[in-house]
Amino acid sequence: MLAKRKMKSNELADIVGITTANLSILKTGKAKAIRFSTLEAICEALDCQPADILEYVEA
Amino acid sequence: MKDKTTILSIITWVVLLSSVSILLNDLREFDFNQFKEFQNWAKSADKNESWFTSKNVIQWSYYIISIGLFFLKGYLIYGFSYFLSILKEIENGHYFSDKNIKYFEKIGHIFIQYTISVLVLRFLLAAIENSTFNFFNELKTEFTFLIPAGLAFYILAEIFKRGKQAEEDNELTI
Repeated sequence: MLAKRKMKSNELADIVGITTANLSILKTGKAKAIRFSTLEAICEALDCQPADILEYVEA
Repeated sequence: MKDKTTILSIITWVVLLSSVSILLNDLREFDFNQFKEFQNWAKSADKNESWFTSKNVIQWSYYIISIGLFFLKGYLIYGFSYFLSILKEIENGHYFSDKNIKYFEKIGHIFIQYTISVLVLRFLLAAIENSTFNFFNELKTEFTFLIPAGLAFYILAEIFKRGKQAEEDNELTI
């Protein structure tokens, strides 16, 4: 989604208001949970729906 | 928070130093001349006599048990010293650290081991002195409060384990 919007990770982190380290945790799937406020901010910055950035992977 | 930990550290130091000075005073008042008597007896003892029933050996056992009680008091003071380590961890901002969990468990171990060992040694002392040992009267004495205190530290360790897990979850919530 970042590539589609031609946006860099640090730009997104700045817009959303999280650190690049935390954005990296989100991207690598190491995060245990995501706040609705963060999800909302990411969707707003990327102009997308939660389903566009979330994916269920069977363990 | 830092002010509180500083005050608690000062109180812990006062308690520790008082305990050490009490222990040293008890050691000073202990009659060490008895050791010389034992050494003299050991040199001149009749080797054919049964050592176990010998009066001197019984007396010697009394002193060994007394030393054991001193050692245990030192062990308890060592347990108190863990409070300082916990306070230091808190001061550094590591509230739910592995170290704190380990320290709480150690304090719990030491408190319970101390109480059980003292009870056993007091029973042996009573047996040597031919006096009566009433288990329930011993339980009423002030040192036995360390059993519930030890259990409380085990519970605290479990709570801190859960706290550490919650802290990790919180750190990984973006």
